[in-house]
Formats: sequence, structure tokens, C-alpha cells
Amino acid sequence: MRYRPALLLGVTLLFIPLAMAFSAPFFAAPNSALSPFSLDLDHVNLPPGSVGHLLGTDHLGRDLLSLAAWGARASLLVGLCSAFTAVLIGSVWGATSAFAGGIVDAILMRTVDVLLSIPSIILLLVIDAVLADLPFGKILPAPIVAMLGITTYSNGFLPLFTVVLVISSTTWLEAARLTRSRVQSIMSEEYVAAAKALGLNSWSIIIKHLLPNASNIILVEATLLVSDAILIEAGLSFLGLGLGPATPSWGGMLNNAQANLLSGNWWSVFIPGSLIAITVLSIQFITQES
Amino acid sequence: MFLLTIMTFALLHMLPGDPAEVLLGSAEKDLSPQELQSIRHELGVDKSLPEQYIGWLRQVERGHLGRSYRDGREVTDIIYERLGATSALVGSALLVALFLGVGWGVAMVWLRSTTNGKFLESVLASGALILYCLPSFWLAFLLIGWIATTQFPQIKLLGVHPPGESGIDLANLLLPALILASRRTAKFALLVRSSMTAELVKEYVRTAYSKGVPKSIILFKHVGKNSLGPIIALLGLSVPALIGGSVLVETVFAWPGMGRLAVDATFGRNYPILLGLTLVYGTLVIASNLASDVIHHLVDPRIELEENAMTFDRMRG
Repeated sequence: MRYRPALLLGVTLLFIPLAMAFSAPFFAAPNSALSPFSLDLDHVNLPPGSVGHLLGTDHLGRDLLSLAAWGARASLLVGLCSAFTAVLIGSVWGATSAFAGGIVDAILMRTVDVLLSIPSIILLLVIDAVLADLPFGKILPAPIVAMLGITTYSNGFLPLFTVVLVISSTTWLEAARLTRSRVQSIMSEEYVAAAKALGLNSWSIIIKHLLPNASNIILVEATLLVSDAILIEAGLSFLGLGLGPATPSWGGMLNNAQANLLSGNWWSVFIPGSLIAITVLSIQFITQES
Repeated sequence: MFLLTIMTFALLHMLPGDPAEVLLGSAEKDLSPQELQSIRHELGVDKSLPEQYIGWLRQVERGHLGRSYRDGREVTDIIYERLGATSALVGSALLVALFLGVGWGVAMVWLRSTTNGKFLESVLASGALILYCLPSFWLAFLLIGWIATTQFPQIKLLGVHPPGESGIDLANLLLPALILASRRTAKFALLVRSSMTAELVKEYVRTAYSKGVPKSIILFKHVGKNSLGPIIALLGLSVPALIGGSVLVETVFAWPGMGRLAVDATFGRNYPILLGLTLVYGTLVIASNLASDVIHHLVDPRIELEENAMTFDRMRG
């Protein structure tokens, strides 16, 4: 294997948010003094490097390292789930379109074109409005409601579910276009024609030829979508449409930290933003090299 | 365009929540069903969906986009008021991103060809990549915080003009436009660098060198002309991306544009405004795509439409 500095740098950078996400429950358990929910009004706006608070505290005296670590879990989870959903829908949509051709292709792709012509943030706002108002507790079957942890008192995982749905409902469009163009170029390869001539049916061709050959580019797209989703989540949280106050996330921290800026607490803004930037940058490095 | 109107209409009517109830808020409990019904009739939301759609389309033909549910004003007027601020912001950001980004990219290519510019080039390239990964509204926070604490009276932080005046002040436009342009600038710089690099290894460049053509002429005249294609394609794609970014930047800087209108309309379930905005945004995006296709074709007549679609797939947002 040849020496690839960008890949190495990318993996090293990615280690920072991953380590934070994995270690969060160990050094900042929800019931401990360092939990992201424990307020300490005697120690507000402590600068980084203070005793007991390595990265300082915010305007409510919450430990920023603990918030950032729990935020890493939420942000990475949102990123991974949204990318997975988007790629799943997008690749099936794009592959169907390329495989079926003709009028099916036209209808499926025109739908994508129209949705792409609406700026994604507007689409996000509209979809968010739809999802936020749906009485999920009544619509979804009881086992799913129980799984999401929805009770009369708490929304449980519902905000996560909504945010993932909102993000993936705009990002799948790119995945669909990409998969379609990739599958189309594979379909015109000679080995597919050979397989058809040998009498293989459609399913065998899809499983044996299309999936293995398209998976590479789809994987790269999925990785890029993770970073997109993390950025979108931050933007949504900033507008007040994110995971909500019950789940610490980097976007939510930025939203909270807005109030601190004028009192000179720049680090509570700097930390979550630079973590977002580090994660996105590492993903860029990794995908550039693959 | 036609599909766009149907889709936006369908999408917006999936929104739950009765506009009559939203308009009246909590006061609705004191109203009799008859009164509620009459308000619904006044807003036109008591008819069937196809009827509402046809009615809306007829009005659009005549330049009416309906009335805002909140204050009963014409949507066209409300959007028109905001259009100027947003186009000033997006337009100046586009210019900044284009000139700064292309300059940055050309500088990198130029530095590489000099004897000891390699290191500086890699610094500039990493800088562009890092800038591309920074969320723009975060950058805005940091800049606002820094400027507010250090006091630069020349740079105006919020709004479009000093209190009591009207129009758009350049001093107020500076910061939002720079912030909005930040990620695009980096994108342009990286694209210019990669497309010029791809051109530089071609044989005509070596021929020109061996003929003794000066480096600046090769770089700007020959290579520059040939790497214009992707830049024009990115220019077209930048309009929707900048419009999307403007929603966040307008919120940070209290900029009274369409983006903030859209956010407010979402929270207020103001369908006519959202519908009108989607239509305006969609038209802008389609127009910019068309314009970039046409310019692309004028610059390089070999380009076919299908090829443009390919470049789209290669250059994500």
C-alpha cells in the first residue's frame, strides 16, 4: 500500500469526534456532575483550561467538553442515519430508473429534477413543518411508538427520527441522480450484454454485476452525505428546527452559544463549530483519496 | 415549471393545521363553527383541492399569488419588498465568490509553476479546503463576536441600512456577502485549480512552451480559455446553493430578505407565502441553469446538453 498522507490525516482527524462520541457515557454519565444537563450557575462562562472543566463552561455553567462529547454522538448518529436513508432511497430510485428506462425513467427523473429546482433549505422548511405537526403517536403502530420511546411526557427519539427524515428527504435526490448515471454506464458495458446473451435474468444481473460495480461510487457518495447531513443538522438546529433542547448536538450548542458571544464567551461558539469543521474536513480527505 | 407548481401545491397542502385556526390562534375557541366557516370561506380553504389549485393558477396568470394568511396583504407585494434585499445579497456574494475564487485558484496554479512557490501553493490549497468545510453561519458568529468586542465602527453588523434611512447600504452589505460567499469562494478556487491542472498536462501546452510562448500567455489565454467550462457550470449551480445559504445568513444578520420570510412563513403555516416563495425560488434556479447552459454553449459550441448533465453529477452542490 502506498503512502497516502491525506487519507492518514483524514482518519486521524475523524478519530477526534469518534473518540468523544464513544467516551461520553464514561466521563460524563447523565447523573454525574459533568453531565451535559447539570447547570452550575456559580461557574458560568469559564474559559478553557479551568479546573474541572477542560474546555470551559457556557452561560449556564454546563461543561462544554461533556456537551461536545454527547453532541458528537447525536451529530454523528444523525449524519450516519440520514446518509444511510438517503443512499438507500436514492440508489433504489436511481437504479430502478436506469434499469426500467422509457416512461418510468422519465417520470422518476423529472420528479427528481423538479424537487432539485427548489432550494433544499426551502424544501427542508416545508418538510419540517409537515413532520413537526403530524401526530406521530397516533399514526404510527404501537410497537414503533414504544421503540421510539414516545410517551405522554416525552418525545423520546421522535426528534431524531424527524430530523433524519427531513435531511434525507432532500439529500436522496443527488444520490438518485448519481446512481442512475452510474448504472446507465454499467448497463452499456459489454459484460452486461454478455450476461444477457447467456440468458441471465434481470435479478441475477442486478446482484452479480450492477451492485458490485456501482457500490464503490455509492459508498463515496454515502460518506459525503454524512458530512452534508452534519452541516444541515447544524443549520436546522440554528433555525430552531433541530433535535431540540433535550438532546445535546453540535448544532444545538451553536444555537445556545449565540447568546454568549457578546459577553465575550467565544469558545462556546468556537468548540462545536470547529468540531463540525474537523468532521467534515476529515470526510473530505478520506473521500478524496478513495 | 408547470410540474413545479403542482408539486409545491401538493406539498404545501400536506401540511397539517387549519390556516383558519392558525390565523386566530387561541381565540378560535371562543368562535362559533359558523364564524370559523365564514373565515375559511374568506380565505378560500373550504373548497376542494383541485378547485383551490385551479383558482390559484388563474390568479398566478394575472400576477396574483394570493394573500398572506397573517395580515391579508398581497403575497406578490410582500415578496417583491424582500426580493431586492435577497438579490443584492446573493448577487454580491456570487460576484465575490467568482472573482475571489478564480483569483485564488489562478494564484495557486501560478505559484506551482514558480521555483519555490510549491509550499505556498499547498498552504493556499489547504486553506481553501478548510474554508469549504466551515459552516458559514458559524463563521458569521465568530466574526460578529470579534468585531463587536474589538469595535470596528466602519463595519456594520446587522440590518440593511442605518436606522431612519432607506435603501441598501454597502457598509451593511459587506459582512453578510463575504460570509455567504465564503464556502463558494473555496469551491471556485478548488475547481479552478483542478480544471487548470487537468489542462496543463495536455500536449498543446507543451507545444506552446516549446515554441517559446510566455508562461502568462499560456496560463491566461490558452489554459484559461479551455478551463472556462466547469467554471460556468459551477456558476449556474451556485445560484441555488447561495439562495439556500442566504436563509441562514439572513437570519444571522437580521437581513430582511426572502430567506427570513420563508422561515417566518414556516413557523406561521403561511401557505400562500411559502407557495409564492417556492415558485420564485424555483424560477430563479431554472433561469440560472438555463443561463449557464446558454453561456456554456456560446463559449464552447461543442458542448451538448447531455454533457452538461454529466458535469452536474460530478460537481455536487
